[in-house]
Amino acid sequence: MFQSEQEHLIQMINQIALNNISAGDESAVADIVAGHVKKFWSRRMKGQLFDCLAAGGEQLHPAAKLAGEKLRAQVS
Amino acid sequence: MLQHFDPTLDHNRDYGTPASLSEKLVTLEIDGVEISVPEGTSVMRAAALADINIPKLCATDNLDAFGSCRICAVQIEGRRGLPASCTTPAEAGMKVTTQNDKLAKLRRNIMELYISDHPLDCLTCPANGDCELQDMAGAVGLREVRYGFDGENHLDAPKDTSNPYFTFDASKCIVCSRCVRACSEVQGTFALTIDGRGFDSKVVAGQDEDFLDSECVSCGACVQACPTATLMENSVIEMGQPEHSVVTTCAYCGVGCSFKADMKGDQVVRMVPYKGGEANHGHSCVKGRFAFGYATHKDRIRAPMIRDAIDQPWKEVSWEEAIGFAAKRLKEIQAEHGRESVGGITSSRCTNEETYLVQKLIRTAFGNNNTDTCARVCHSPTGFGLKQTLGESAGTQTFDSVMKADCVLVIGANPTDAHPVFGSLLRRRLREGASLIVADPRYIDLLDTPHLGDSMHLPLRPGSNVAMVNALAHVIVTEGLEDGEFIASRCDDGAYAKWREFILDPRHAPEAVEEITGVSAEAVRAAARAYAKAPNGAIYYGLGVTEHSQGSTTVMGIANLALATGNIGRDGVGVNPLRGQNNVQGSCDMGSFPHELPGYQHVSDAAARGRFEAAWGVQIDDEPGLRIPNMFDAAISGHFRAMYVQGEDIAQSDPNTQHVEEALRSLDCLIVQDIFLNETAKFAHVLLPGSTFLEKNGTFTNAERRINRVRKVMLPIAGKEDWEVTVELSNALGYPMNYSHPSEIMDEIAALTPSFAGVSYDKLEQHGSLQWPCNAENPIGMPIMHVESFPIGKAQFAITEFVATTERANRRFPLLLTTGRILSQYNVGAQTRRTDNQVWHDEDILEVHPHDAEERGINDGDWLGITSRAGQTVLRARISERMQPGVVYTTFHHPGSGANVITTDNSDWATNCPEYKVTAVQVEKVSQPSQWQKSFQDNNQRQQKFLREAGTVVEGGK
Repeated sequence: MFQSEQEHLIQMINQIALNNISAGDESAVADIVAGHVKKFWSRRMKGQLFDCLAAGGEQLHPAAKLAGEKLRAQVS
Repeated sequence: MLQHFDPTLDHNRDYGTPASLSEKLVTLEIDGVEISVPEGTSVMRAAALADINIPKLCATDNLDAFGSCRICAVQIEGRRGLPASCTTPAEAGMKVTTQNDKLAKLRRNIMELYISDHPLDCLTCPANGDCELQDMAGAVGLREVRYGFDGENHLDAPKDTSNPYFTFDASKCIVCSRCVRACSEVQGTFALTIDGRGFDSKVVAGQDEDFLDSECVSCGACVQACPTATLMENSVIEMGQPEHSVVTTCAYCGVGCSFKADMKGDQVVRMVPYKGGEANHGHSCVKGRFAFGYATHKDRIRAPMIRDAIDQPWKEVSWEEAIGFAAKRLKEIQAEHGRESVGGITSSRCTNEETYLVQKLIRTAFGNNNTDTCARVCHSPTGFGLKQTLGESAGTQTFDSVMKADCVLVIGANPTDAHPVFGSLLRRRLREGASLIVADPRYIDLLDTPHLGDSMHLPLRPGSNVAMVNALAHVIVTEGLEDGEFIASRCDDGAYAKWREFILDPRHAPEAVEEITGVSAEAVRAAARAYAKAPNGAIYYGLGVTEHSQGSTTVMGIANLALATGNIGRDGVGVNPLRGQNNVQGSCDMGSFPHELPGYQHVSDAAARGRFEAAWGVQIDDEPGLRIPNMFDAAISGHFRAMYVQGEDIAQSDPNTQHVEEALRSLDCLIVQDIFLNETAKFAHVLLPGSTFLEKNGTFTNAERRINRVRKVMLPIAGKEDWEVTVELSNALGYPMNYSHPSEIMDEIAALTPSFAGVSYDKLEQHGSLQWPCNAENPIGMPIMHVESFPIGKAQFAITEFVATTERANRRFPLLLTTGRILSQYNVGAQTRRTDNQVWHDEDILEVHPHDAEERGINDGDWLGITSRAGQTVLRARISERMQPGVVYTTFHHPGSGANVITTDNSDWATNCPEYKVTAVQVEKVSQPSQWQKSFQDNNQRQQKFLREAGTVVEGGK
């Protein structure tokens, strides 16, 4: 009936990417998205983003996906 | 500054005429006493400042001098006649005599005429003991009335008792016009006039109607201004005169008006706006002045209650048992599901100290950062957007600053309804000649301000704010209206260059966005020019900006406009968020958000975190916790199991009600602390009685960052102030908290929060109020921010791409619903619905444009089913041209209306602030309530029964 937790998170991160789309190239947008997620998302929400990436992250906007990868690289 | 705090003034005295703001002094002599006063001060006020009291009736110091009663006549050396001291400006070298035989005779003669047409029922009159006419009769030594009382008179004039809060007894009127002037000068409504001439002159409301039927907004300014018993609070008529007063702060909107609670023992007789209040200067609205009866309403929760499951009756228990039950449940849940499985919500209605303690409880006793606040659903984009651009999450001005504005741009705000006292101040400035631009889908009342000069309405489509703000900026840049000097000296070069390139793009031109906004390019260009060319341009905005999927972008776009035109850092300009609730600013300041400690210090900032860890003696998580919508998602998925909610009704106020209800039902333990069995409490396992603002000590911080004292005037109805309950819960959880008074909590806040470092209760007593930042650099606070620099050094222009909401009208849902407040009710209505404010608005109505109504065969009063992709509800129809075709509007003050059953989960990209202002809907005539409304009624009846079975008397829960 309602969006799942992960669906909501995907929608959120894609929205962050779209609203910052004019910040520069994909990498620059991804930096902003990654910075935003790092600053505002909880540990569990970040974990779910990484789960989504591990599953291919196909629903993610390209800049959001790149942001997720950058964040994952920082953590590991 | 426009209003200096003047410790020499006694705010309980009436100086007769308003203060002059002139800095030039003139010296005169009154009854042989030499006194220097600002040029423009009246002789009456000058005398009062020298403790010489000239008799007066039509004069009062919050109204311009009128000079009608003549009782204040004085003699001035070298001048003919006996001029009225209220209308005579003090001049250098003037020699004034206020008492001599000639003046005494004149005054007695005047009083004799007044009293010859006045009932002599002083002993049974409600104004007995507080009547200026009585006082003046005494002051002038009136001993006889030679005219008798048999002539033509007004002694049988009828009473108007139509208003639930005050009575108009025309037989006692002396036609001094104070009420008429208060209605026009102070409130700005112009509902009252003097009708007729000479002896037939009388005060009338509207077109000689009852007060209730007229355009009177029941602000009470007339009642306060009346020198006799003509306009009198019904509570005073019933209870008699108060015997003591306590100055405190209103608990309704973000204006934060100061009031004198006039008391009889522990009973509030009336609330009188306090002249010494820097936010309101002695004015108020119908809510603050009159709607306080909820505090002693029979629906108040008077004892703690617990239950194992939400389908069980409540069990009334002791505080100790309830706290113990809650603590045990929380511990068990954390033991089984982990540290992060619990969280809490602080309240923007509670005090700074209480909010601080709840977030501290969560970060210490709960051991996580799962704290959020109702600011999430109103002004979280303000916090984000202003921090990004200006470096501080707060508005830049005082309210008084508007009196220096030349052009006022109001975006997505309805101040005359939602922030009425500021609305009146703004109207005063508009009457003085400032121009007005309103960008709003609705034609708001501000546009109908009497004596309004230049004004324009940009009736933009819901969801197009960013396109509008960008278009305004595009015009400013392309037409060379920028303030180059300000930009060069105060703004970051790189960010500005990027923004300039972005905004110059033709896609932001008014002509290019006409299709999006629905507003003609010509009108947008005119508005941009008016704002940018005005010597002082000020922007005021509200939830019509923030509650969108691009709310944060619009806030940043607004900051861009102010920066580009240099409208920052002085009186009359600025970026002014009109905060929704009384302590939204404070709840944000106090670290309620999951990513920030008090003072907006990020949890990942090791140095800041270290200070809190040292003071609190615990390790604080360096990762942000969950926001409210994320708590709901996690609850439904089973990872979030318990919540402590203080003073917020998330089940009514948050969007997509059915989603919220499912989340609340999923919790193993919901602890609600509130003054009533609100909608959220119906899903609770522990119900802890809350205390109203009248029952506790603390501070609120208003929309101008003003920290004001809240003072206890009566004992808490259930024995505890809210902060005491949090302390006990913390202690029961094993994290010791020891405070004996909220002042000690403020001391801790000051020690840990740089912007509050200089705040203490002693200093608040000394100065009345303080606007943060208040610290070593600004020992008595900072009224106007960013005067010389920004907290981030240079201001940052932000790129503000317009991304349309996914919530668009389509064939299935062809209309856009937007929501808002009405003057007489307040948010979820828990307080105002339990007062006589119900006479103005006892149900939420759907306003429909005649075009849309005609297409659907809708008439006024029809029942309408409103369906969105989230749900359906049913409301009654009102045909209205306030919206444009295609847009429908409702309020959300009554829980059974289910306005939030239809709002969706869409939210601001940066903060998750819900998109209340745009919901695609279909509207059709129906004959019965929606399914949700039926189940709401069933559950309501069940839960009220559970409450009755607990032994608590509950009525009104129909």
